[in-house]
Amino acid sequence: MPGQPEAPAIAIAALTKRYGATTAVDNLSISIPTGAIFGLLGTNGAGKTTTFKCALGLARPSAGTVRFGGEPLQPKMFESMSYMPERPALYDWMTGAQHVEAARRSFTRFDRERARELSDLFGLDLRKGVGKLSKGQQSALGLVLAFSIRPEILVLDEPSSGLDPVHQRHVLDLMIDAAAGGATVVFSSHQIGQVERAADRVAVLHRGKLVLEGIVEDLKAQEKIVEATFEGDAPTIAALDGNPSVRHLMRQGRLLRAYVRGSGDGVVAVIQAASPTSVRILDQNLEDIFLVAVGGN
Amino acid sequence: MPAIFTVDPHTGVPIYLQLIEQVKRSVALGVLAPGERLPTVKQLATDLTINPNTVARAYRELERDGVIETSVGRGSFVRQNGAGDAAAAALSDVASSAVDAAVREAKSLGLKKSQLREIFHHALERWYSSDGDVKEREN
Repeated sequence: MPGQPEAPAIAIAALTKRYGATTAVDNLSISIPTGAIFGLLGTNGAGKTTTFKCALGLARPSAGTVRFGGEPLQPKMFESMSYMPERPALYDWMTGAQHVEAARRSFTRFDRERARELSDLFGLDLRKGVGKLSKGQQSALGLVLAFSIRPEILVLDEPSSGLDPVHQRHVLDLMIDAAAGGATVVFSSHQIGQVERAADRVAVLHRGKLVLEGIVEDLKAQEKIVEATFEGDAPTIAALDGNPSVRHLMRQGRLLRAYVRGSGDGVVAVIQAASPTSVRILDQNLEDIFLVAVGGN
Repeated sequence: MPAIFTVDPHTGVPIYLQLIEQVKRSVALGVLAPGERLPTVKQLATDLTINPNTVARAYRELERDGVIETSVGRGSFVRQNGAGDAAAAALSDVASSAVDAAVREAKSLGLKKSQLREIFHHALERWYSSDGDVKEREN
């Protein structure tokens, strides 16, 4: 396309956050284009929440920068930004309706009609005090507020925790609807299936470090498993150890499995030379890819 | 509009490729007629609960392959001319890659060429009549 490339909606560059001796986020760089749904995956304590907090100015980074549309975070940007922490910041002594009213006063773009629609969607009784709502209903209220301000940027930390499967699907639908309307959505989830459905981009954090990032569809196309069986125990193949396209090797009895980046053809050729009884190439879904990335497979 | 396409996000096959194949199949089989309007990107993304950019990517490739055309503001349509041919050609690619995968699998299981030839022969006998036409479909 001609002209200047548009600045990414969110650009995190060399972000590091230390708490004492612990490095929660380690030299993280991520660029998120406008209109993307960006899924952040990682095991507990991987640094997802810290990343969100640093990005939104709720925690001071030890190093690094975060830019929105090419500019550093400024107060006026909060008008069109929604952040939903894993435990939404709600007051027990206020009703849902009072929270809606408070949000309406703080956000000029707040859409009251939308808030009503979304409350119905989640079966939420706005007259109830927050203290009387279940955890799932509190999450739902957080989501109603987050989506009713018609944000350009949405940052959702585990948005569907505590929700039933039907309401979880609503959350995905809302994210998709927002992105189709040009908003940029960033969310974390432990449910890889949600990321696989709704996200076009994904990043995997592990112990504060970025271990994998890319377009979900491209990762699926690029990451393969080459599986081979042998007459006896699977041999050690030296050429595989140094092979840059091999991410991970698994040897179990007569079975050899190589998790590879790329078509797998090169690795097949290397394995063929060791006279296996069979070789095949398997696809990987996002869960497989995630587990290899965090070394859990 | 009923969702005529379905996708399985939880496989290793990219969703946009699943969509492309289904649109081509629908066009080649006449389920989608020339000139027929496709759901908008937003509509299809919402119907299937998948990412809008993924749908847009499928549509871009379908346009490049001459199966659909998109006019700004009006939406995407099955092409009037040549969409069927383009889709049929693409389906022949789908068939070849399916056969290729089957042959690769047979080879990986240690079958000899002659054994595979026999299997293939039986399959042809089963599904095609002797003059080479497609047998009536058994559903």
